[in-house]
Amino acid sequence: MGAFVNPRWLVGSAAVAAFLVVWQIVGANEIIRSDLVSYPTEIAASARELAASGELGANALATLREFAEGFAPAIVVGVLLGLGFALSKIVRNLFEPLFVAMYTAPLIAFVPLLVVWFGVGSTSKSVTTFLAAVVPIAINTTTGVRETQESWIRACRAFGATRAQIVAKAILPGALPVVMAGLRLAVGRAIVGVVAAEMYVSTLGVGRLIQTYSTAGRAAEIFVLVGVVAGFGFVCVGLLRVLENRLAPWRARA
Amino acid sequence: MTQLVVQGLRLEYPAARGGAPFLALSDVDLAVEKGEFVTIVGPSGCGKSTMLMLIAALLRPTRGAVSLNGQPVAAPGPDRALVFQDFALLPWRNVLKNVELGLEMQGVAAAKRTDIARKNIDMVGLRAFERHYPHQLSGGMRQRVGIARALSVDPEVLLMDEPFGALDAQIRQVMGSELLHIWERDRKTILFVTHDIDEAIYLADRIVVMSASPGRVVQQIKVDLPRPRGLSIRTSAKFNEYRETLWNLLEEQVRQSGSWARGEGGA
Ligand SMILES: Nc1ncnc2c1ncn2[C@@H]1O[C@H](COP(=O)(O)OP(=O)(O)OP(=O)(O)O)[C@@H](O)[C@H]1O
Ligand SMILES: [Mg+2]
Repeated sequence: MGAFVNPRWLVGSAAVAAFLVVWQIVGANEIIRSDLVSYPTEIAASARELAASGELGANALATLREFAEGFAPAIVVGVLLGLGFALSKIVRNLFEPLFVAMYTAPLIAFVPLLVVWFGVGSTSKSVTTFLAAVVPIAINTTTGVRETQESWIRACRAFGATRAQIVAKAILPGALPVVMAGLRLAVGRAIVGVVAAEMYVSTLGVGRLIQTYSTAGRAAEIFVLVGVVAGFGFVCVGLLRVLENRLAPWRARA
Repeated sequence: MTQLVVQGLRLEYPAARGGAPFLALSDVDLAVEKGEFVTIVGPSGCGKSTMLMLIAALLRPTRGAVSLNGQPVAAPGPDRALVFQDFALLPWRNVLKNVELGLEMQGVAAAKRTDIARKNIDMVGLRAFERHYPHQLSGGMRQRVGIARALSVDPEVLLMDEPFGALDAQIRQVMGSELLHIWERDRKTILFVTHDIDEAIYLADRIVVMSASPGRVVQQIKVDLPRPRGLSIRTSAKFNEYRETLWNLLEEQVRQSGSWARGEGGA
């Protein structure tokens, strides 16, 4: 009984539907100025328009590229640095305080400087993405490596593993679930970073569009764009979860 | 033929901050025949695990030496394989991949690795579970994986450190008799540490009794029970005699150290 509809979903959907209806009424009837809050049907129309004109596609693609060009190297560098922090006292003493400071410092404040250094083009956006992502990846990798169990390393050593084999066969796979959690954290920070950098100054990108439409006082378009950004983050995190379940079935279960 | 020789083995663990170094083993001498099944008993903390680690060369002796077939042992190698009390399996690898671990370290080609691993998984009765992960197995099955992993590198000496210590009494007896079957098939030399007096007698050709810390060998008892041994042998008069002898020896050592591991004295 009740196997078809989960009551929790039902309540959740009802709440969302009610919210949309109220929003529609308030916005469409100008109970609150619609150029400030917009309303669902107007947003849907704007979304169609943005998509049809190709404006959304071109800008989203530009942002996606900047994101990828920053995030991919952040994975490599973050994991290597994280390994370094965990395994080498020298690396740790050299870089870790800086990283902890970077983790808490507002990266956005550095964007103007990054633009001066790397120009107004896509490079400064990729660098922002990189910096936003590399910190949580490195910190989580360190945590993951520190949490690897002595018994995994002992098993490898007993069978004559070299140092490299211990890293490859015990430490990295053992740290993987925590590294993946770091990637999920990093996605969120990197998206905020790349959009914020585009909003500061750029010629192309979702952040640029948000900036343009907000100067024009267009709430509907801003909602569409924020939705696109949120959707992208949602998809990324979902993909990472799928990947994590595949790669680390023993941990994902717990 | 004498295969494994431990000579004047001494091990000091480095001092903790401010303290003195800790002497875990003092002058252990032991000679093991090829194909012999030797069990090692002694009070908790007397250095049994330390001795196995030294033989495996996971630790370096402070003094003395270990040699295998006349060659000094300097590094871990496939001629000696360890089976651990805590199994030490890799949770992200299924049974097959766990068993292949030692072969990977030796650079054996993938296809051959799988062949050898399958053969040993069969031997420990886990054929139907080769795709299972450790968290999907019972304790007894996990230790079978540990044993198959050790057997896969085809070691000359099997070093087993309380391999059944984490299992309940019944499974423990079953695993013991299975181990004997496997041993009777290819007669590998086995050094087997245990806290269980019955297990020590049931399995052994010879029992090595160690002193309270710092560990030395205080006595060696040849076990003259016919093989193959069934579980019922535990109720025989001869078995009882060994049990009493061993119990008295251990009691003396334990009284000196003032501890008997995990209250397992009563065998
Ligand atoms: N890494 C280490 N550093 C310092 N002391 C150690 C270390 N490992 C073991 N010891 C000490 O050396 C002694 C022997 O330890 P070992 O683990 O070999 O004993 P054991 O006979 O295997 O004990 P058990 O029966 O409880 O397993 C113990 O007193 C232990 O506290
Ligand atoms: Mg021990």
